[in-house]
Amino acid sequence: MVIDHAEKTMDTINKNLFLFWLLMSLALLPVAGFIMHPTRRVTIRFRHKIGAREMQLFNETYTNPFGEPITITRFKYYISHLSINEKELSSKTFLINEADSSSKTLVFTTGITSPQTLSFVIGVDSLLNVSGVQTGALDPLNGLFWTWNSGYIFARMEGKSDSSHAPAHSVNWDVGGFRSPYNASRKIQLTIPTDIIKAADPVIVIDADLLKWFNAKHTITIAQSPLCHQPGKLAMQLADNYSTMFTVAQ
Amino acid sequence: MKKVRIISCMLLLLLAALAWVEGYKPPTPLKFIVPRNWPKPKYDFAKNPLTQEGFLLGRKLFYDLRLSVDSTVSCGSCHQQFAAFSTYEHNLSHGVNSSLTTRNAPALQNLAWQSNFMWDGGIPHLDLQPLMPLTAANEMGETLGGVIRKLQQDASYPKLFTAAFGSPLINTQRMTKALSQYMLMLVSSNSKYDRVMRGEDSFALPEQLGYNIFKQKCSTCHKEPFFTDGSYRNTGLPVDNTLNDYGRMNSTGDHKDSLKFKVPSLRNVAVTFPYGHDGRFFSLMNVFDHYRRDMVVAATTDTLLLRRMPLSNYEIGQLTAFLNTLTDTIFLKNSMLAPEGKLESVPFQHLH
Ligand code: HEC
Ligand code: HEC
Repeated sequence: MVIDHAEKTMDTINKNLFLFWLLMSLALLPVAGFIMHPTRRVTIRFRHKIGAREMQLFNETYTNPFGEPITITRFKYYISHLSINEKELSSKTFLINEADSSSKTLVFTTGITSPQTLSFVIGVDSLLNVSGVQTGALDPLNGLFWTWNSGYIFARMEGKSDSSHAPAHSVNWDVGGFRSPYNASRKIQLTIPTDIIKAADPVIVIDADLLKWFNAKHTITIAQSPLCHQPGKLAMQLADNYSTMFTVAQ
Repeated sequence: MKKVRIISCMLLLLLAALAWVEGYKPPTPLKFIVPRNWPKPKYDFAKNPLTQEGFLLGRKLFYDLRLSVDSTVSCGSCHQQFAAFSTYEHNLSHGVNSSLTTRNAPALQNLAWQSNFMWDGGIPHLDLQPLMPLTAANEMGETLGGVIRKLQQDASYPKLFTAAFGSPLINTQRMTKALSQYMLMLVSSNSKYDRVMRGEDSFALPEQLGYNIFKQKCSTCHKEPFFTDGSYRNTGLPVDNTLNDYGRMNSTGDHKDSLKFKVPSLRNVAVTFPYGHDGRFFSLMNVFDHYRRDMVVAATTDTLLLRRMPLSNYEIGQLTAFLNTLTDTIFLKNSMLAPEGKLESVPFQHLH
């Protein structure tokens, strides 16, 4: 009996040692990779604004270019194909959410030495819309998914406005659609200023001005269009508008 | 590339080690059998390999009332096995809080060969389908977050997810993959028609005559062996002014698709009444009268039906005899597909 017991203990010790070494070597792998390829760190930070002011959810009422008041309660969007000099930094899709400050800063390591242009797509690749249920930022649990006519909602601006005739004075703009002719994904291209190019670990701050949703390529009033709940013409126009909302802060 | 290979080798080793330490048992593969002479399935099994554990987990989820907001409705409430997984005797199905769906629940069968789901084809993948009933206010009324939380807090689900997927992680993807594993096994291929096609049985005379008429008048749309060609067509059902359902147009936004609905399979048609996308036809006779008399021919009506479809009473008799050969009792009574493997019988009165 005693021998049996000792044998069992030896066995677990051996197993644990083996596991320990495996885990150690795994943990060291990324470090090894880093030493072999010297890289720069690029930080991309999103700032959401109303005109020149940084926006706040819930607490403030803003006025759009048509004099309509709006309190914003939700603001989020998916970005994909994030690239510098047309080289993808990541194949992932990111969910940028005003309510989650950690989602607004993205950090990458890259071998690119002089970042001139930054581009990304607001939207989710059509393939990811049709190949089953995704995980992480794309988990339909995040709420940016139409379940009855499947597809991701690429961007959402939601709030309340006295100018809205919709129930509870809501403003509910859900923009998405991956099927032609109502494909709402939009590519954004920005130029990176020279002082940022030269920085050792560049920090690129991207400002997004929400007022562009109302007035850019098209004029879209709350009174006329408080709701956008499906792919179509209004979603296409909102996408055209918000595709102009980004600038790189100097 | 080399780094990736090294990492994956290490991960494999780690998994093996974990299995060794924990006594983890990998799930048992489940074979998906493609009936003789049937085409290759459209579902990508490589991305969701069937296993016995995955199937059993999916079956449990399918029949679990707790997936709805007030624990009153499961997938199985609206998709009943004795009705080929449609809602028995209901034109529209009942959701939580005395709500009604706006469409007739179709039979669930041979889903592995289907690439778009719902009467308007709005859902392009089987794994995405459960998201809709789980969250719709007139079906199960839950949120995905709510469902996942309930499963995570349950005593048995983490173990079942471990058995099926190798770790207790419960997320939307795993839940829907398990549901798909169950639904993919809903294969109906053992009706009298199938036996005749395999040379194991023969049609009685009226059935054979009905089959001949069917091939002539119906099978362009209701194409064998699935009895649907998967297309969307307007067969002249005028719009109901309380439902205002324009079918495929809801999904594509294209006026040319107005009033087009997916051609339904006619397998097990004898038990899937009422018929039509909103269940407006209570019997096969109602459907025949629609095709020969009541159809409303309009701009998007199918070109095959521009002059309606002449059908004599005699033809209707033979067609009905043939359609009855599509009932697959082996499928309707397969206890593997029933809740916890126990078969339920047809209710004497309205259940839900
Ligand atoms: C309240 C009743 C109800 C509940 C609950 C319900 N369904 Fe359905 N189901 C329907 C109706 C009605 C349709 C047809 C919907 C349409 O076409 O708009 C349908 C369609 C489907 C389809 C598509 C079939 C086809 O051929 O296109 C699948 C698959 C399905 N349901 C699976 C499920 C699963 C899985 C669940 C549980 C998570 C579930 N259903 C819960 C009523 C229900
Ligand atoms: C032009 C294509 C077409 C032809 C031809 C056609 N059907 Fe259909 N059939 C459909 C479509 C589409 C539906 C669904 C209509 C709806 O609900 O809007 C349908 C529905 C049905 C239904 C109801 C099934 C259910 O589960 O709801 C039956 C039964 C049926 N057809 C039988 C027949 C028979 C028998 C014939 C030949 C005499 C025939 N059909 C010819 C396209 C066709």
